[in-house]
Amino acid sequence: MRSKRIRKREKINLTVNGHAYELDVGRQAHQLDPAHTLAKTLRETLGLTGTKIGCDRGSCGSCTVLMDGKAILSCTTLTVECDGKSITTIEGLGDPQKGILDPLQQAFIDHTAFQCGFCTPGMIMGAKALLGQNRSPDEGQVKEALSGHYCRCISHYHVLRAVLEAAKRIR
Amino acid sequence: MKTFEHFDAASVEEALSLLKKYGGKARVMAGGTDLLGVLKDEILEDYPDALINIKTIPGMDTLKESAGGLTIGALAKLADIASSPAVKAKYAALSQAAESVASPEIRTMATIGGNLCQDVRCWYYRYPHHMGGRLLCYRKGSGPCHAVKGDHRYHAIMGGKRCFAVCPSDTATALLALQAEIQIVGARGTRTLPVEDFFTPLGNSLSKGDLVTEIRVPRPAQGNRQTFLKFTVRKPIDFAIASVASVITVEDGVCVDARIVLGGVAPVPLRAKGAERVVQGKPLDAKTAEEAADASVSGAKPRSGNAYKVEITKALVKKALLL
Amino acid sequence: MTTMKTQYRYIGKPTPRNDALEIVTGKAEFIDDVKRPAMLYGKVLRSPYPHANILEIDTTKAEALPGVKAVLTHKNVPGWKTGIPRHVRVLDRKVRFVGDAVALVAAETEEIAAEALGLIKVEYEKLPAVYDVEQAIQPDAPQLYDEFPRNLVPLDVKVFGPKSLSKVVMGDVEKGFGEADFIGEGTYAYENFANPLPLEPPGVIAEWEGPEKLTVWSATQSASWHRFIMLSKMGFPDIRTISTHCGGSFGSKNYSAQPLFYAAALAKASGRAVKVRYTKEEQFGAFALRLGSRFRGKVGIKKDGTVTAVSGEWFVDTGAFSDMAQAQIAVGCGEAQLMLRCLNWDLRTRLVCTNRNASGIVRGFGGQELESAFHPILSIAMEQAELDPVEFFKKNYVKPGEGYYWRDGNWWVCRGKDYSNAIMEGAKAFQWKEKWKGWLTPTAVQGTKRIGVGVGVHGNADVGEDESEAYVRLNPDATATIHACVSESGMGQRSSLCKMVAEVLQLPLERVSMTPPDSLINPFDFGLVGSRGTFAIGSAVIAAAEDARQKLLALAAPLFHSEPDELESMDGKVCVKGKPGTGIPWNRVTSLTQTCTGFGRFKPDYSVPNFLILFVEVEVDTETGQVVLLNVVSATDVGQVIDPLSLEGQLYGALGAAGMDTALFEESVLDRRQGHLLNINMMDYKWRTFSELPRFRNVILETGIPTHRYKALGVGEIATSPGPSAVLMAASNAVGKRLCDYPVTPERVLKALGKIKKE
Repeated sequence: MRSKRIRKREKINLTVNGHAYELDVGRQAHQLDPAHTLAKTLRETLGLTGTKIGCDRGSCGSCTVLMDGKAILSCTTLTVECDGKSITTIEGLGDPQKGILDPLQQAFIDHTAFQCGFCTPGMIMGAKALLGQNRSPDEGQVKEALSGHYCRCISHYHVLRAVLEAAKRIR
Repeated sequence: MKTFEHFDAASVEEALSLLKKYGGKARVMAGGTDLLGVLKDEILEDYPDALINIKTIPGMDTLKESAGGLTIGALAKLADIASSPAVKAKYAALSQAAESVASPEIRTMATIGGNLCQDVRCWYYRYPHHMGGRLLCYRKGSGPCHAVKGDHRYHAIMGGKRCFAVCPSDTATALLALQAEIQIVGARGTRTLPVEDFFTPLGNSLSKGDLVTEIRVPRPAQGNRQTFLKFTVRKPIDFAIASVASVITVEDGVCVDARIVLGGVAPVPLRAKGAERVVQGKPLDAKTAEEAADASVSGAKPRSGNAYKVEITKALVKKALLL
Repeated sequence: MTTMKTQYRYIGKPTPRNDALEIVTGKAEFIDDVKRPAMLYGKVLRSPYPHANILEIDTTKAEALPGVKAVLTHKNVPGWKTGIPRHVRVLDRKVRFVGDAVALVAAETEEIAAEALGLIKVEYEKLPAVYDVEQAIQPDAPQLYDEFPRNLVPLDVKVFGPKSLSKVVMGDVEKGFGEADFIGEGTYAYENFANPLPLEPPGVIAEWEGPEKLTVWSATQSASWHRFIMLSKMGFPDIRTISTHCGGSFGSKNYSAQPLFYAAALAKASGRAVKVRYTKEEQFGAFALRLGSRFRGKVGIKKDGTVTAVSGEWFVDTGAFSDMAQAQIAVGCGEAQLMLRCLNWDLRTRLVCTNRNASGIVRGFGGQELESAFHPILSIAMEQAELDPVEFFKKNYVKPGEGYYWRDGNWWVCRGKDYSNAIMEGAKAFQWKEKWKGWLTPTAVQGTKRIGVGVGVHGNADVGEDESEAYVRLNPDATATIHACVSESGMGQRSSLCKMVAEVLQLPLERVSMTPPDSLINPFDFGLVGSRGTFAIGSAVIAAAEDARQKLLALAAPLFHSEPDELESMDGKVCVKGKPGTGIPWNRVTSLTQTCTGFGRFKPDYSVPNFLILFVEVEVDTETGQVVLLNVVSATDVGQVIDPLSLEGQLYGALGAAGMDTALFEESVLDRRQGHLLNINMMDYKWRTFSELPRFRNVILETGIPTHRYKALGVGEIATSPGPSAVLMAASNAVGKRLCDYPVTPERVLKALGKIKKE
């Protein structure tokens, strides 16, 4: 639904992990400042700290979330530009209430596809976007999809195994 | 980052009127993959009072192909350009250039207009303000060029005069090879510039209050071969240390038309006209390729720290011609 | 992996990490996820100059900004001092690198704090700066500290006791060189000051509960350091440290003295909790880099590879201050002896400060830095002798029964392993014999591409360093709780220790857990450093579990009318050995209102060095100068694998933490005219991506090493160290010329190939 001509937003409506939020735009402490990034809003306003900020400049991948199914960098996205968008963060995978994990999460556990774990939410979301578009990626395609993700512990080899395994399990 | 007013423009006219209203104190916000970094690091003395979001302008992100050529809305995403079957089939240099940019997430967010208009990557220019104060320089309007006597390993080997930062846009390199034109709408109305006239040594020909709206690429000649080769320290992510885009037409084993463009080596994307002259009318064999490669860098005036770029440029030109 | 068939229930088997669920669901709590009530945000104003006096500093406007709760300058910070010896003030009246701290602000939001920084007016008196380690010790060089004439930082600081190693002197080098058939000599450097660059930037939250009672949350890998190292430096307040889940550290965040000082000082001044969380740029430009290392020396060897003498001067550049460089020098000196069996040494060191962002603790801890600068000299000698470097390293790595001066200056005799088998297995897996064609000779030439191979070794006796204590508490519900102050920064050690306890107690793994890494509720642990987790912490935890088990059996014995040594515990029940049918659950042995707690303590043992050999294969493009890493094989003997996937992760880590890639593309680019570090972002600082992973194989022997009951030895810390020199060797062999500088950039390769005229 295209909204009426709005030049300066007063409210932002967005859906995060299936929950609808309405945020008031403004400069007060409880409001959404136009300069707030989506990463900041997710972490500090909505308390969803699973999305990590590594560099805050869009160059490490740790803040990756899904927006309308595509992997984007939340530190390089303004929340005030997310009206009507549907965001999925790491907290939105599986069914936490029922203790059900997304196959990617389970595969990461099974392969210990992490060491310090800081890059992990971003990696899983990047892989999630890939598998949403390509149900049977080869190793090269997984590498390509995660090419912007920084991992210093070097869990890359385990991550590749986990993502390919998850793809197999999903099929 | 510091706050600003934020507007969603519903049309080009609205965007222009907001830009005019803020008199140079507003910035256009498309994908944001360059702008937000510039703002967060406060590399420029001027911080905008307002951001004008142009992603809300309908119809500016389309990719249309016709017999005459390709029309790309300035808001078209790099990912869509890279994966478009039409672009891959007939404008391969452009799809390869778009594909080579940054990372998949960035390509999902970044627009071609933004890629063309992005600011330079010179590490003096980009020095973050909170790490001891931004550096003022010639490009910023006051000060020397720090790279000249400093570390200029990534800077220009040709065409640099007072500022030696290179044009970072990969799509620019490809578009110049493809003879593209850029449509600009502004206070002076609408005008169209060929790519080579769009870029200037200190940036581009946009005045404050101008907006890039469309890029038009004429259909290249039948049987043409296109490449985009980019040399980087790392395969993904990095900006080009040197790049080459070429559109070559070969008939009866002989080159009848060639456009060879160098990227990452000059403040603007540069036609290697010397190389083009060498290959004109000749078969593209190893000897011709070698000659053309030498000719492509004949105008190079590297500094002590970036002469290696000359060799890399030659290697890319040679490879592009022999592919 | 070459493994013995494991007879254990958990040890050696892959088991999910006990924090896996919280990591993959985003629930693991890192420092920036923690908020304290009424918490303020601290920010640092940073110097534009590499060296300057602060003449005037006016903070009135900053203090007046609404939301600002504290502003500190050198005039009003606490008098705490860190560094060795203590020379690093919280804020000084001088700045010593571009980015050095000038003032601190705490405010309600980060944005207000940042705005306040812009309102502070500073008048500087610029001073000349010095960046080169040998220039800095010239009599006329600009001096960074009044207390360090000629910028020489004292080495006799007894960091490891009265005989702390700061040089290696023994035997008679004159005689030794006389006996040599070949001599390698020269000056080589590893001075690219790479950044360990964990993904998570450093951060500390400080909160005073009283004038002398401080609680600190920190992204550290060694919680107790913030306590016991800082106590004396901060005037002995009672410090409680809570380690948050750490997003990578690689040594650098162990200490975090600066963010800790800033947070604690602002918290004291404002009366509220303060979080200081560095930006990525601060992590690049104002946080721990690798030491700079320059070695001017000589090595003498015989035809058969015997090393007859080593002499030289090791110049260590620590940047603007010395966190612990003397400790790294001590370990570096020790590690050099592990690598080269030699009776005659005269290796002296100088520790120098220069005007750049300071070096700190980084995985490799001095040994990587020395080795990388020393290796080319060894290569020169080996080349003259036409020795296969693998044979050379195999011959010369310390063997059981041989001795070395370790960091404490004492003579230790190796009682560990002869790692020759690991070397040979690794060489076989890499096909070294087929690929090695001789010095400065490519393995293959394919058109414009040349392939070269290289090798390096490393080892560390710090696997048994320092003290660890643990309690293991057996609970009536047949669970066990380990009290050990062990952080999680990627090694998975918390899970591995649970496996050891589960094995001792024969309890299902999911019934063993560990207390959070909080110095208040745990006994002392030195921390996760130097690969000591498996041996040192493992020993303490195993001893504690065994102690608890003995206490349980003693309690149970009367119930069985037998002696404790006739009993065992299996799956939460005590029974007669071999008769599970007789089992009595723990709660009936202890009753529901009693627990059984055992204690274990590990005392330092520097007699069991670990070892890693790294083989690398690179491809050089002679047209562009690009060097690509194709293939890596690492080989080691860990005695017994505790957790295969965690171990693999540590070994792959050779590509991380400023390791191998410091020879290929990692460096901190320093502008030596104005003093700025230029590549302080994730674009210009180059790191390895998914798209360019080499083939990587880990050869892991398990032949049992005399450490504790599981005969296991850690190896994580040394994984990075042999990398840079191995790559330098491989690239040199590919190019056919000795390359000397790190990293091997396209420019350096093209110059070596004669394709760029030197100006």
